[in-house]
Amino acid sequence: MNAPDPNAFSLDINDPEDAELIEYFLSELPDRVDTIMAAFTNDDFSELERVAHQLKGAAPGFGFPQIGTEAAKLEQQLKGSSNPTESLQTLRSQVDQLVSLCNSYINPS
Amino acid sequence: MSEPQTNTQRNAVPVVLLIDDSQFVHRLLDARLRSESIILASAEDGKRGLELAQSEQPSLILLDLDMPVMDGFEALRELKEDPKTRDIPVIVLSGMNSSQDKVAAFDLGAIDFVTKPFELTELRARVRSSLRMSELLRMLAQKAHIDGLSGLYNRQYFDEKLTTEFNRTIRHGQALSVAMIDIDHFKSVNDTFGHPAGDSVISGVAGLITQQIRSIDIACRYGGEEFAIIMPETDPGQAYSMCERIRQDCEALAWSRHPARNITVSIGVAGMPSGEQVTITPESWVEVADRNLYHAKQGGRNRVVASGLDGNPIGLAKAG
Repeated sequence: MNAPDPNAFSLDINDPEDAELIEYFLSELPDRVDTIMAAFTNDDFSELERVAHQLKGAAPGFGFPQIGTEAAKLEQQLKGSSNPTESLQTLRSQVDQLVSLCNSYINPS
Repeated sequence: MSEPQTNTQRNAVPVVLLIDDSQFVHRLLDARLRSESIILASAEDGKRGLELAQSEQPSLILLDLDMPVMDGFEALRELKEDPKTRDIPVIVLSGMNSSQDKVAAFDLGAIDFVTKPFELTELRARVRSSLRMSELLRMLAQKAHIDGLSGLYNRQYFDEKLTTEFNRTIRHGQALSVAMIDIDHFKSVNDTFGHPAGDSVISGVAGLITQQIRSIDIACRYGGEEFAIIMPETDPGQAYSMCERIRQDCEALAWSRHPARNITVSIGVAGMPSGEQVTITPESWVEVADRNLYHAKQGGRNRVVASGLDGNPIGLAKAG
């Protein structure tokens, strides 16, 4: 695997173009969190996988490599089992981790 | 002398089409490719992407593999099957770093493969590299169709285009005209003033033709001192008028190598008004134009003879 170095994507909030991307990502994030929660609640695993896949690909480019990593883990979890309900516990904890990570950016304490 | 019209698009800003279902990717690339001298067009699914590829004729396509409805492989297959989009280079974007996907994408005709998340400096470099390659291919393809001396299209391109326009006329019932142009007494120009003078007459007449034709017309060097023009959506009367202007321009032009010797052309036109049924082949269409050219020569040269496909003349050839 030639996974890119996460540090290569950390953006500079003082750079106008970077700031624009960070701001955009943060403004979209609550929507994605809602989608993840709803999909998990409704056992809509294909929707869950789709959002996880999108976040995995996009988050690092917007300066949020950790969200990308957590989303990748969730996607892997969903891909790995033919019946995700069997490993519901692991799945729930993975969703929780991703959601709370996202929330920590949305509502910084 | 003006250049052939095919050269005018060379300096246009290239359009890059991004086909990706993720808003994030559109937003990211829109920001990150802003510094490149490109126009970014966007499609959020494969179907819309195919439509835009056809209508916008982008210089490069960035295509996401994992999309709902029509996935990237399917879109790539369709892009490469359609003659209108076949030659547009495609860089495939994928969240999967799998050799199997890469091999499949390259086998389907992708020019490059980039893994998400993007390393942006690398992506920019790959976009630039693909655009360079696409420009070189375009120039090469164009060169293969261009006659070196006249700068007009060559005979091979004429044959291809004639078939295309002929079929379009049959399908849509549009008008179509073809003109054959021959330089009068060309051999004596060569014999009297030498071959360099003959060459400059060829390129000079080509320049006059280029100045008169419209952007939809296709002007070619048909052979030695003979030229041909395909005029889509043009009935024989309109074609006659345009050819008559070419004839007059030529007659009026003064030549630096032989100021006392004017050059004239004879022109045969065969055309069909819109809404008529085509009953002949492209080859016999050219034969009717050739026959009219022969009549123009027989009638004293420096004139235009035009007819419908039945050979019945329209308009009167003007004596020189």
